[in-house]
Amino acid sequence: MTRIEATRIIVDLAGDAPIVASLGHPAYDLFAAGDRPQNLYTWGSMGLASSVGLGLALARPDVRVFVLDGDGSLLMNLGSLATIGLLQPRNLVVVVMDNEEYATTGGQPTPTAHGADLDAAARAMGIAATATVRSDDELRSAGALSRVGPLFIVAKVKESAPTAKPPLDCVFIKQRFMSALGNPESSVTGAAL
Amino acid sequence: MTGTAPAWAVGVCAGVHAAGSRDVVYVPDNPLSHVLRVFEHQFRDVRLLLATREEEAFGIAAGLYLGGRRPTVMLQSSGIGNSLNALTSLLIPYQIPALMVVSMRGDSGEWNAAQVPMGRAVRGIFDAIGVPHATVVSADAAAETVRLAGNTAFGTRTLGACLLPRGLTLKVP
Repeated sequence: MTRIEATRIIVDLAGDAPIVASLGHPAYDLFAAGDRPQNLYTWGSMGLASSVGLGLALARPDVRVFVLDGDGSLLMNLGSLATIGLLQPRNLVVVVMDNEEYATTGGQPTPTAHGADLDAAARAMGIAATATVRSDDELRSAGALSRVGPLFIVAKVKESAPTAKPPLDCVFIKQRFMSALGNPESSVTGAAL
Repeated sequence: MTGTAPAWAVGVCAGVHAAGSRDVVYVPDNPLSHVLRVFEHQFRDVRLLLATREEEAFGIAAGLYLGGRRPTVMLQSSGIGNSLNALTSLLIPYQIPALMVVSMRGDSGEWNAAQVPMGRAVRGIFDAIGVPHATVVSADAAAETVRLAGNTAFGTRTLGACLLPRGLTLKVP
């Protein structure tokens, strides 16, 4: 399973639900797999995709929130697993596209190439529903896991060269995203006096 | 409990609340423990969210805002160093606002030399990255200083920092 194949499955599973993508290749592939207003492409803040997804999940318990993270990115913010394990938001789904390399910066191996196990880390931090998947079918099955808390999926993927780049305007991305979620900024909508 | 809460802490909580913030993401700090206690006892509609690191706290705050909330981040000034990537590559370019309550280390009253360099630098860092900041000069001024910083932040989609000097927070109630 390549990363773009896995990303297409996540977009399919998400339906109309928001997806927060880590910078670099996860965001590029999300755009290529299906640009939609409910996509939050990050252009910086490496490591924070799961934290942004957590905040969104807490703010909007009525919405299922997907996070597309990378292995290198999540390793920058492992404390996030402890916080997610502490708060147990049942509407949060974190998918780590684990290609075992820093693909965006030239393919340097990450610690997961040498056995670092993000699935085990998530379980150790109190996230009970986890899965490590290597195929389309396994990923689809993991997405349907029944659970009472957050879901954490490590998708072992082969690197696939990105073919497209998301919009660059950060404010546009944010405004479009918030409007699609039904909580538009008042600076965009105007307001009654 | 109410009787022992320092007035500056009550003012900070009142200001956060008056700015419409009901979500406070924090990394603990000694003076801020007073603020947390006041929130717990007097502002029960405010959700307190512990983060493991200040940068993470700003990520969570950004997500809260994207979901329609008005987030506050509470941290020690030393944690600004841990926050810079989140501020400069997420909240500022996306114009995601957050009210910041910053407990000062390294200013007048400090005893620990390791806290001094960042404490002295923090206002200059805020100026360099364009984060408006106000200093809470007295317990009486706390509520209004924080409220105004919050209203400006959420109204103009910027960050707004309120600094709590040790001269304020170390006073015995």
